[in-house]
Amino acid sequence: MENGLSEVLGSKGLLKKHEFIRVLVQCLYSLGFKKSASCLEHESKILYKTADYEFLEMQVLSGDWDSCVAVLDRIFDNSKDDMRNTALYLVFKQCLFEYLKRGDVSLALNVLRKQAPMSKMGKEKVHRLACDIVCSKEMKFGEEDSCLVQDSRKNLLVELKKLIPLPIVFPERRLEHLVETAVMDQIDKCLYHNSCDAVSLYKDHHCGRDQIPSETVQILMAHKNEVWFVQFSNSGKYLATASSDCTAIIWKVLDDNKVELKHTLQSHKNPVSFVSWSPDDTKLLTCGNGEVLKLWDVDTGVLRHTFGNNDTGFTVSSCAWFPDSTRLVCGSSDPENGIVMWDTNGNELKAWRGTRIPKVVDLAVTPDGESMITVFSDREIRILNLETKVERVISEEQPITSLSVSGDGKFFIVNLSCQGIHLWDLAGEWKKPLKLSGHKQSKYVIRSCFGGLDSSFVASGSEDSQVYIWNLKNAKPLEVLSGHSMTVNCVSWNPKNPRMLASASDDQTIRIWGPGKLNKPENRLGDQANGRNRRTG
Amino acid sequence: MGRLFLVNLEGKGYTCMHCKTSLALCEDVVSKSFQSRHGKAYLFSNVVNVYAGKKEDRMMMTGMHTVVDIYCVKCGSYVGWRYEFAFEKNQKYKEGKSVLERYKVCGPTGNNTYWVSQEVEAAESDTDDA
Repeated sequence: MENGLSEVLGSKGLLKKHEFIRVLVQCLYSLGFKKSASCLEHESKILYKTADYEFLEMQVLSGDWDSCVAVLDRIFDNSKDDMRNTALYLVFKQCLFEYLKRGDVSLALNVLRKQAPMSKMGKEKVHRLACDIVCSKEMKFGEEDSCLVQDSRKNLLVELKKLIPLPIVFPERRLEHLVETAVMDQIDKCLYHNSCDAVSLYKDHHCGRDQIPSETVQILMAHKNEVWFVQFSNSGKYLATASSDCTAIIWKVLDDNKVELKHTLQSHKNPVSFVSWSPDDTKLLTCGNGEVLKLWDVDTGVLRHTFGNNDTGFTVSSCAWFPDSTRLVCGSSDPENGIVMWDTNGNELKAWRGTRIPKVVDLAVTPDGESMITVFSDREIRILNLETKVERVISEEQPITSLSVSGDGKFFIVNLSCQGIHLWDLAGEWKKPLKLSGHKQSKYVIRSCFGGLDSSFVASGSEDSQVYIWNLKNAKPLEVLSGHSMTVNCVSWNPKNPRMLASASDDQTIRIWGPGKLNKPENRLGDQANGRNRRTG
Repeated sequence: MGRLFLVNLEGKGYTCMHCKTSLALCEDVVSKSFQSRHGKAYLFSNVVNVYAGKKEDRMMMTGMHTVVDIYCVKCGSYVGWRYEFAFEKNQKYKEGKSVLERYKVCGPTGNNTYWVSQEVEAAESDTDDA
């Protein structure tokens, strides 16, 4: 109830004091502190429930429908108001329901014939009442169950609350909602935010570098030549790397996040340029550069199958798994350009071949197995829905070197050879891609990946030997990680540990990155006039 | 170093003399009457598999231009230059286009004509305008 105070709160005088107190009272009631709430009502002389509402509540719970209608009539002064009419309709419906339950047919008919039309709630609402009696299953004759009746009256109150205008009634848990909105806004502005823990209310939320991987915690040296590819398994418990020394290595991620070598896979005659984990992490596919595709067993490190034949010539550029971990696709370019689908026993299931198909640069299958995204030489992206066979084509402005899909399958990124990363949505609603830049790429295949909580970050390798990390809210890099001494070819963010990142470089090492230290100055590229802030790392 | 990204060009074209990497297509030739210090050169609308050196301002026969020298990504040999900026209005059409020196590339018929030309004046030559 307004008591005529015109005082305001807040540094800009935007908050009305009596509303603030009333919201506080509601909060105390909803938390269960009845005594404190009524004490506050008493001290401030501001009541949570207005007199009108208290009265209405009493009438509804005791079933005094005539008074209910009278109060509602008073609250809503305009008979054309749809909210009013809906409220009246609900009250009459409850009234009819109760009369019929009791067996009071004549009373019910009276309501329908006389009282409802007199309330001026509109013809169609009256008609609807009539329909309800005939059709509704609830309106049957039956035993009067007082519990059921009380419950249904409480439900009616809840429904009425939604229709009654402000300021007589306002939404439940209002204070909680206002605070949560403010906190979510702060989280939105937080560029390092990478966890779903509750945040503190004692200070404005602001995450630091310790939330994302930004310090080298381990350097893996086992390859004898440039490392071209790295990827964590879907479970985050293993890591696979591929090198121009013609081998691939499977590493195990231990409980303390240290990484150790498990198997070295030797069989390719050419550098290994790409690997792919089966969705159940039991199998690994390796692609030789301009060479065949091989299938390995992760547990034993044994070669299970070789797709294609080195003699007849079968060149594979990239491959992807289907969710069932038994079907896979690969892009091939020798003898004929095309995409081939196989099962793990080596049987060819399907093929898209032909002289008019350009060379496949990269391909991927969404985690739900519904769409296949293919990058064709050199700037064409085709998204094929495998169920509906509908295809969407995106033509990029520059040659594309690699493709990566987000964990939820909703977005994908492509690295362009002219130093940009373009992010597109799979659904096809965006007319233009989101563009990220800052890293260096001109000659080599540089790969990037999604990572972090809800795939809100993107990391990429770069020809200047650094790892670049962006928060998707900003086109300029959030962090630039130094450490490698030569071109970083590929990065992989652990899908199950948002604070673990791996990078593969021409310097023959793989670096594992972990949470940064807070006391180092934050490395923001946007603040620098020219290029980057080199750190020793 | 790293895994080279090579663009495949479908059709008849010019390749690097040393490593046979595709550089440009015949259909992308804009003009065949360019001259470089070493001889004939062709102007192309699109050249691939090259990387650029530092930007330089050069005085050519047709005026001052900002150019970058371009090199084959695979073997690193110099193949020509690309026009980044033309100071004179009537030379603007060259911006973004690249010149490949005829003696650094193999033609579609596989021949490689050596044209050790007569001395051409000025630091770097250019084209005669259409």
